[in-house]
Amino acid sequence: MNKETKVRTKRLGGVAVSLAAALAIAACGSSNSSSSSSAGGGGSTGTSSSGGSSSAAVSPATLNGAGSTLALPIYQQWGSNLKGQGLTVNYNGVGSGAGIADLQTATVDFAGSDPALKPTDTKAMKGPALQFPVAFGAITVSYNLLGIKSGLKLDGPTLANIFSGKIKTWNDPAIKSLNPGMSLPSTAITVVHRSDSSGTTNGFTTYLSDVSPGWKSSIGAGKDVKWPTGTGAAKNSGVAAAVKQTQGAVGYVEQAYAIENGFTYAAVKNSSGKYIEPTIENTSAAANGVTVPADLGISTINSPSADAYPIVSQTFLVVYKDPCKDGKASTSVAKGLKSFLAYAFGAGQQTLGSGGNKLPYAPLPSSLAAKDNTQLQTMTCNGSPIS
Amino acid sequence: MRGTLMLATGVALVPLILVIYYLLYKGLSSWSGSFFSTDPTGNFFGNPGGIRSAIFGTLEIVALASLLAIPIGIAVALYLTEYGKEGWFANLVRYFVDVMTGVPSVVFGLFIYIVLVISHAGGSGFAGWKGALALALLMLPIVIRSSEVVLLLVPGSLREAALALGAPRWRIVWRVVLPTARSGLVTGSLLAVARGMGETAPLLFTVSLATAATANLNGLMNSLPLQIYTDITSPRDVIVARAWGAALTLVALVLILNVIARLISRRSSMA
Amino acid sequence: MEASATTATGVRSRLERTPAARLPDQVLQAGLTTLAVLILGLIAYFFVRLIGQSSDALNKFGFSFIFGNDWDISRNIYHGAPLVIGTLITSAIALIIGVPVAVATALYVTELCPRRFRGALGMLVDLLAAVPSVVYGLWGVFVLGPKLLPVEKWFANTFSFIPFVGGGGSSITAPNYFIAGLILAIMILPIVSAIAREVLATVPAENKEAALALGATRWEMIRMTVLPYARPGITGGAMLGLGRAIGETIAVVLVIGNAATIGHHLFNQGYSLAAVIANEFNEAANQPLHSSALFAAGLVLFVLTLLVNILARWFVRRGTRGMRAPETDSGDAASASVASAGVA
Repeated sequence: MNKETKVRTKRLGGVAVSLAAALAIAACGSSNSSSSSSAGGGGSTGTSSSGGSSSAAVSPATLNGAGSTLALPIYQQWGSNLKGQGLTVNYNGVGSGAGIADLQTATVDFAGSDPALKPTDTKAMKGPALQFPVAFGAITVSYNLLGIKSGLKLDGPTLANIFSGKIKTWNDPAIKSLNPGMSLPSTAITVVHRSDSSGTTNGFTTYLSDVSPGWKSSIGAGKDVKWPTGTGAAKNSGVAAAVKQTQGAVGYVEQAYAIENGFTYAAVKNSSGKYIEPTIENTSAAANGVTVPADLGISTINSPSADAYPIVSQTFLVVYKDPCKDGKASTSVAKGLKSFLAYAFGAGQQTLGSGGNKLPYAPLPSSLAAKDNTQLQTMTCNGSPIS
Repeated sequence: MRGTLMLATGVALVPLILVIYYLLYKGLSSWSGSFFSTDPTGNFFGNPGGIRSAIFGTLEIVALASLLAIPIGIAVALYLTEYGKEGWFANLVRYFVDVMTGVPSVVFGLFIYIVLVISHAGGSGFAGWKGALALALLMLPIVIRSSEVVLLLVPGSLREAALALGAPRWRIVWRVVLPTARSGLVTGSLLAVARGMGETAPLLFTVSLATAATANLNGLMNSLPLQIYTDITSPRDVIVARAWGAALTLVALVLILNVIARLISRRSSMA
Repeated sequence: MEASATTATGVRSRLERTPAARLPDQVLQAGLTTLAVLILGLIAYFFVRLIGQSSDALNKFGFSFIFGNDWDISRNIYHGAPLVIGTLITSAIALIIGVPVAVATALYVTELCPRRFRGALGMLVDLLAAVPSVVYGLWGVFVLGPKLLPVEKWFANTFSFIPFVGGGGSSITAPNYFIAGLILAIMILPIVSAIAREVLATVPAENKEAALALGATRWEMIRMTVLPYARPGITGGAMLGLGRAIGETIAVVLVIGNAATIGHHLFNQGYSLAAVIANEFNEAANQPLHSSALFAAGLVLFVLTLLVNILARWFVRRGTRGMRAPETDSGDAASASVASAGVA
């Protein structure tokens, strides 16, 4: 008889009991979870489109995704809507960089990424990957300043100087000159930036590089940049929390986070010289004017459209073209992925937009949604098209 | 002088009091029936849900980790006290185990991440059992060290008496050594479990985050420390309140284990 | 206990037993030995892997990995001086604040406190070790940080003439080196205090009584006999606390500010070796040089903790040498109580 068993059996009294108890409770729990979570799904501001998605019956599966926190509210909302139909979507907001890394190591089924795939990204993938634009979000410059409610105007070079630490207080002459008539306090500016690899950072720094040659040469654009000043926080929610907690703070967060926390954000000067506030219309304006390459790798930063908000970021869902190959995922997961994507450019788009129940993102222009659908049909499972 | 020292002791206790006070003050208000019976919904707006899946996940992962660490730890400690004693090999093992106690949990997590998660060992990426394994690695040196101390306290005379009566080695271990040391072993194990329950870093690297309660250890699971860690950086007040409630739950669980462990050790005549 | 319950099959001596009856013993011995070998092998594999994975980054950057000031992911340059310095600063703060308070507490509990409160007080201080680090982080972010911010600003402004300690003034934010160090001080307090208590208990009563007999006051007795005797052991305890502070991750990552720069004053944001691993591991997964750099950070962290722990245990053994009983080793008891209180 196994000597370890002897030692183990006696010691294990308490542990075995608690293990049995835990498993028993968990067994009760998991059988209840589907019923309770579909109740949870209906209780949010989720639209009734979960009932209205009659054209997109989803294939039941459990999908694991990770990546962009800019798009996190969207995927969480969709996951909540689809749970009742048997499709479970677990999405972990770890930042676009980590999301792509997770897809490259195939530890997730799909990645959320704001910047389009670069050649270095595709090279490290375990197979050909497809990117699907799903929505557009405005990156707001949100600030926490007592007494300044709204209407603060900032332009590109000033923003670059604020975020590089050259402008240190709110009543700096550069800011004052853009906002005559506004009495600005002498509070110190605390810059809040991302500490993780972020598509939001990529969008914001791309804009800054476009409008400020000084920024471009010293700091540049990317998912991770070397910030000369400021506090680092992880994820959009972390930056939002840091801005909320610090008087005089300024940070870049996607609009959904700014609205949720009642932030004040600045009107930013766009390429046509107008000061634009981030609204859904202004975000859509950026989306409408965009050129679409063959691999759908668009970029809406610093859009040339006259009325566009200049810091609009696209966000992609990235999947493998053949998720089943080499055993990366099962057939049911592949089917679930395809139906999730179809929902994303179909009924899911109705959850986005302006208006009470909708998420503050600009939906896809119909031409782009059509291109997404065409690309979707090229997905295969072990070589054969997914039904 | 007495006054200064008393003041210093007071200063040392102030954080404990403050932590417990704020945990109760901010956490109790989150406790409710639905807090413990619903999973986190993951909704961005609206109802954030409770922490049920986090509690289940923690219990499952820690139970598996204990199942691995405690028997193996006690067995290694038995080897060290019964067979290895002061030999070169036993001292080598002791030395390495000592070194292991000092390894920061991040490094364990990173190790398991590279060895098990990225390589997709067992057919999955992030998985509950990998988190349990990382926790077991963390708990193992603690169990070994504390068990060895307790086993050494068993008087040699008892062993010798049993030997004189003709008992074989395994019988001595099973019938004399282990029962005598039992309360000390249980204490040490409970403290290791309490320690494992509160660890975040190993889980961060191996289990990721999920919202639904599940018994599937081969997939993503939720856990209390990870849920708290994620909720802390949320700007929504209601989610931060949930973090406080979850923290209170976690501390309550850990404290209960600690108190039980100390009561057992107080009661025993050894350790 | 029931030693007589071990009467086996009535056979008298081991030599008279049949080979079959001897088998369980051999199986037990072989099994346990194998297990110990496997565990040793696992630990060895862990180190080998750790060193192997870090070699790329260490080869490429050499000493600049520790001494160079440029942690830049976008350009794939990993010079980790901000991390090392941040780790050292926060640990130093933790020691400076935590050790005196811990020793004072231990002194009070062992020497001056009314006997009936000793157990309870000791247990209360030990309870600090039971609080998980994520809960300390939560408390630090929402309670300690904001509440201490005005005090920090006042302090920085009043003492701005002292380099490093002062200065910064109005741009101070809640996450900074000081808060991280303070939280670490609270976390290492129970460990240092537990060891200090063990060590103080080994001071021979004769020494204390001799001092008292010569007319010393209580405090003089402590200063002349107890503290010098206990100093090596207490130093060891402090170093074990240091080892814990160096490796602490979650609480630090929440309150240190995550800025990969070297801060110029006490209330600057900073970074630490453990925090960088927790923040960047996911995105580094598929970047060979980045992930190698993180492993190298882990290796540096581990070597630091190892050195500190070796020194610490040597000190603790020296300090508790006096009370070694034939079958027990209170040095081990001290380290074991430390281990169960949570050193890593």
